[in-house]
Amino acid sequence: MGSLSSSLWIATGALDVDQGAIDVTTNNIANQNTPGYSREVVDLSEGSPVEVGQLTYGTGVNLDQVQSVRDQVLTLQIAEQTTQQSGAQTQLNSLQQVQALFSSSSQGIGADLSSFFNSISQLSTNPTDLSQRSAVITDAQNLATDFNQAATTLTQNQASLNQSVSSTVDQINSLTQQIAQINAQVGQLQQLGKDPGALEDQENQLINQLSQLTNVSETQTQEGLTLTTGNGTALVVGNQSYALQVQTGTDGMQDVFANGQDITSTIQGGTLGGTIQVRDQDIPGLMNQLNTLASQFADAINSAQEQGYDLNGNPGQALFSYNAAGAASSLALTTTNPDAIAASSDGTAGSNGNIANLMAVETNPLPSGESPTDSYASIVAQSGNLASEAQATVTATTTSLNQLNDQLGSISGVSINEETANLLNYQNAFAAAARVVSTVDSLTTDVLNMGAGVTAVA
Amino acid sequence: MRVNPNFSQDILSDLYTAQNHEDVTLQELSTGQLINMPSDNPAGAAEMVQNQNQQSETDQFLQNTSSVEGLLQTADSTLSSVVEAVNQAISLGTQGANGTNSVPNMQAIAEQVEGIRNQVLQAANTSYQGNYIFAGTATNAAPFTLDASAPDGVDYNGNSDVNTVQIAEGNSVQINVPGNQIFQGAGGDVFGALQQLITALQSGNTSAVGTATTQLGTSLNYLSQQRVFYGNVVDQLNSNQDYLQQEQVNLQTEANTVDGVNMAQAATDLSQAQTTQSAALAALAKVIPQNLLQYLQ
Repeated sequence: MGSLSSSLWIATGALDVDQGAIDVTTNNIANQNTPGYSREVVDLSEGSPVEVGQLTYGTGVNLDQVQSVRDQVLTLQIAEQTTQQSGAQTQLNSLQQVQALFSSSSQGIGADLSSFFNSISQLSTNPTDLSQRSAVITDAQNLATDFNQAATTLTQNQASLNQSVSSTVDQINSLTQQIAQINAQVGQLQQLGKDPGALEDQENQLINQLSQLTNVSETQTQEGLTLTTGNGTALVVGNQSYALQVQTGTDGMQDVFANGQDITSTIQGGTLGGTIQVRDQDIPGLMNQLNTLASQFADAINSAQEQGYDLNGNPGQALFSYNAAGAASSLALTTTNPDAIAASSDGTAGSNGNIANLMAVETNPLPSGESPTDSYASIVAQSGNLASEAQATVTATTTSLNQLNDQLGSISGVSINEETANLLNYQNAFAAAARVVSTVDSLTTDVLNMGAGVTAVA
Repeated sequence: MRVNPNFSQDILSDLYTAQNHEDVTLQELSTGQLINMPSDNPAGAAEMVQNQNQQSETDQFLQNTSSVEGLLQTADSTLSSVVEAVNQAISLGTQGANGTNSVPNMQAIAEQVEGIRNQVLQAANTSYQGNYIFAGTATNAAPFTLDASAPDGVDYNGNSDVNTVQIAEGNSVQINVPGNQIFQGAGGDVFGALQQLITALQSGNTSAVGTATTQLGTSLNYLSQQRVFYGNVVDQLNSNQDYLQQEQVNLQTEANTVDGVNMAQAATDLSQAQTTQSAALAALAKVIPQNLLQYLQ
């Protein structure tokens, strides 16, 4: 049989539970815009019933736990896409600077090549004309300067990427350290059987930041969370973090080491992966093409020069010089004397017979298989392809990242509608329970008064 | 079904996309070019490099054409004056050969022919922009000098080389004929015939004068044939000029196809992008205040 005191007890318990539920709802509403926050729900259960004689009575409501709503698979997918997106974005940012070098078809190396050959062609109409010879020298000088500038700009871009490698590694190390610390706290809470929801939100947020820097794989082990790089090098194991190191290699580039091993080439994705990709692959690729063009073009012009005679009847000499270690950056003229152009094929000043040999360089394929202009066009296309591929990846990953975030939001996001509805429910329940308390109070008074009446009669 | 309650990310990303589209079309409209960076169309950017090269090459061919035209016309008109002078010498020779001339008359005629020879010599030493045009490729010195001891009365100091100039892709023209071929060729030696006529007139030998005059006629025919070369080249240059101008138009059209913005299309795109953007903004403004809380107040 129930009693007034048990009703009071159930009602005050309900007041506590409703108060707790309102707290959780309030916390959800407060954090609706907090990055990384997963909404919390209260886990309510019925109190275990008591049996009195033949009857079973309920004992009210319990608030078992407050739980964060999350989806681990989605979180992992988001981290993965974030890595790809930020890697491609990093590549795109530097490649856009690189391709600007090759963006104009009316200036730069391509236009210089045209002007150079045009001046030589013009010289064929009057091979003794000194002003025309000077024009050839000027155009050759412009061409060499533009090769030098393109090479310098590429090297500068590479150097600034190189600098960002070590600062990115620093950020990674600081993040893994923080994650290891949180890991330790999560472990402690879990041992005490408490929900580490808030800490896990923080941890996910940090892992997301880490994913922007490099690709990490995440596994849950008995020691807690384990984070490794793409090739399996441990970054965080439980409460222990392992820092990456940076060392300057023989080529002057910063290499990334883990446990004494060079892992530079295995790093993919993220700011670090994108930086290394552009620094070690994309820019050197373009630089190689530029060097090949510079050296083969210089060789071809030089050998055409040597087949003829200069204005003074002397055998033609090389017009360009370069250093084989970096042809584009070192391309220079051997002379500024306009007489040196070997236009003549028979040693007389008026002959233009060797100009055909010089002009042949414009149309004949270089050893690379393409004419100088076509080679340059390939470099332009290559720079554009690299940037447009990065752009395509950024667009694709941004779309899928939006979708994944939408999905995650539909699971973990705080909905004001839902929280308002919950609030109303708990408010009503609270009010009802409070009414029960006051009802029990008045019933108790009635009971006491009832006793007083009996005493009076007796 | 639960949906993502935080829609601002979605709308923001739509707004970025619309904004980006607007920026791109705006840039296309303002530059008139579809390819503003190689990544806009890598293959097209490469094509544009080649196209620009061909356009500037074509411009250069046109310039080569006009540069050599002056030289060729000078040579042609010089040879025309030589033909006139030699014709005069032939009529003098015919006069000297008719047997009615006194010795002093013959001498006077010989002096006139000598004057004509000097005129031809001067013509053969014509220079254009500082270069002797009938010297082969040895253009820095006068090709013909008087030499009484030489059989022709003149020495040729030039060479037998020719220059060619490229006037189109795979098309080069010869721009000179060496002086010894024009004035002392195997088919007719103008200087030799003139010298022979002078000698015959001086010696008063009418039959020798007749022979020399006939020979001068033969040399004149030959010289005229050589002169045709210059006329032919000028014709070739003129027709080539038409071809190059057509080529310029073709290349320009090709460049426009690859890189040219269709203004009407771009303007439509721009206004579409603007519409999309304002629609997204309007939607955002309408949707934000909608939630249960509003209705409960």
